[in-house]
Amino acid sequence: MNAERTDTAAIDAAIGAWAAERRLPETYRARWRALGEGDRAALYNVASALRLRTGQFVAAFDLIEELAVRADAPPATILARGEIRRILDGIGSAPGRARELLETLRAMRFPRLKVAAERIAAAVAALGLPAEIRVVLPRELGSDEVRVEISAHGGAQLERLIAEIAGHGAGLGKIAEMVGGAHSDDDEI
Amino acid sequence: MTTRFELDALYIEEGERSSALAARVIAGLPAGVAVRYVADGRVAARPAAGAADPFGAGKRRMIILRRRTPFVMACPAGASEFACCGYLIAALASNCPMDCGYCFLQEYLADNPGFQIYANYADLFGELDRIGRNAPARAIRVGTGELADSLAFDGLTGISRDLVDYFARREGLLLEFKTKTDEIENLLAIDPRGRTLVSWTLSPARVFAATEHRTAPPAARIAAALRVLEAGYKVAFHLDPIIAYEGASRDYLALLDNLFDTIDPGRIAFISMGGLRMTPGLRGAARRRFPRDPMLVGEEVMAPDGRMRAFTPLRVGLYEKLRERIKLADANLAAYLCMESPSVHRRVFGAAPPPPNALGARLAGS
Repeated sequence: MNAERTDTAAIDAAIGAWAAERRLPETYRARWRALGEGDRAALYNVASALRLRTGQFVAAFDLIEELAVRADAPPATILARGEIRRILDGIGSAPGRARELLETLRAMRFPRLKVAAERIAAAVAALGLPAEIRVVLPRELGSDEVRVEISAHGGAQLERLIAEIAGHGAGLGKIAEMVGGAHSDDDEI
Repeated sequence: MTTRFELDALYIEEGERSSALAARVIAGLPAGVAVRYVADGRVAARPAAGAADPFGAGKRRMIILRRRTPFVMACPAGASEFACCGYLIAALASNCPMDCGYCFLQEYLADNPGFQIYANYADLFGELDRIGRNAPARAIRVGTGELADSLAFDGLTGISRDLVDYFARREGLLLEFKTKTDEIENLLAIDPRGRTLVSWTLSPARVFAATEHRTAPPAARIAAALRVLEAGYKVAFHLDPIIAYEGASRDYLALLDNLFDTIDPGRIAFISMGGLRMTPGLRGAARRRFPRDPMLVGEEVMAPDGRMRAFTPLRVGLYEKLRERIKLADANLAAYLCMESPSVHRRVFGAAPPPPNALGARLAGS
């Protein structure tokens, strides 16, 4: 009992020191303190192991909390998932693994968005457009606007690239329709 | 009736002490609710100092006061970037005793969350007479359910009776009550002469259970709709907000099937659809008040209008499925989107949206 109390006190002291060092906003400190003991410790282990910067911690905290609500599970359970453990136990640099953690949490938090974005990206890649033509998709598929950018040096190159785009009209049109909701799979909904 | 609301206190503005509304409310007030008189009801509507949840506390504080500004206003959902329905709002009350996790009032009324009801609501009729005189050829739809639920507490206030009676005598005006209650007893006692429409927001059972606190269950709403339809009212439904959780399309389609099994789609005036949209401020307020609500943590991303919405293919795909089901039930059943861009409207309906006045006239005349 006493040992448990000591462990808890030690973890909370470490959390307090970490939060002070990182100048973590008080709202996040309060939310951290409000978590269960195991959840507080799990979050601290991630923050310290990956040396998260304040902004990274805030983003990760929000994602973990929301994942926990979506899964109706405590944050420690989210952090115990295989894809997160793999990052924590990995051998890469801490900053690299911190970035990977955030990417993984985002993918877990927005699973259907990830699938849709990957499918559209694959369709764009399949067009085989030259590097000078770029299909710009809306950020996080937040709208149905698709932009096609051409980078050209000289009239001849521009004409060639415009012709290239015209030749891919149907394929580009299909991508615009995918962004707008056509060709959705049922499992996305 | 399945919905029952509770009050902590009733505040009455001194100047409205002898109003008919105050008399009716006091007469029907449950025992134990304190009645207080105040010089200015607007002060009583401000957030309670020290309350852990000032917005939630405001819902339990009914305030009868005088409205100092016009009752009729353009729908706050209307904006140039959206395909609109030309709706007019009659602001007869502010806030609502129900407590939906996604409700925009959590942000919109954060500074005056008291549940206000305006004692001089009959002044609305003069405003509507003037609007009718200025636009005699226009069919106008006027709703009371934007800043409050139209029928919550109607058993106490009885406002619906005066409204239905006024509209029953006016050509070219259609009253819309919008509600999530089944508080319809007053309506059943009056003949609306076809000039009042009652619309229900409908959600699948999963959304109701997770986030629509103190509302009537969806089946009770549909049952109430059938009763008012048979009493001579028009009925309509709002699938709004549509929340794109996993399994949503199955649940919303089942909801529509259930609706059409109960009410002949040919007798439904219209169905509106609108995806969940939240400003970051609203989302923050809602998450603070309902941190365990799974409906507030869907796959919403930032849209060009500054609101968080389900990402476009997900949202539009859902609209398309629902539109197809509505069309299958009755090809002539009017449907429209609320707070969506013309391009989304074109994707869902295959055509550009009609101008607001034209859509509004169609809905008002339906």
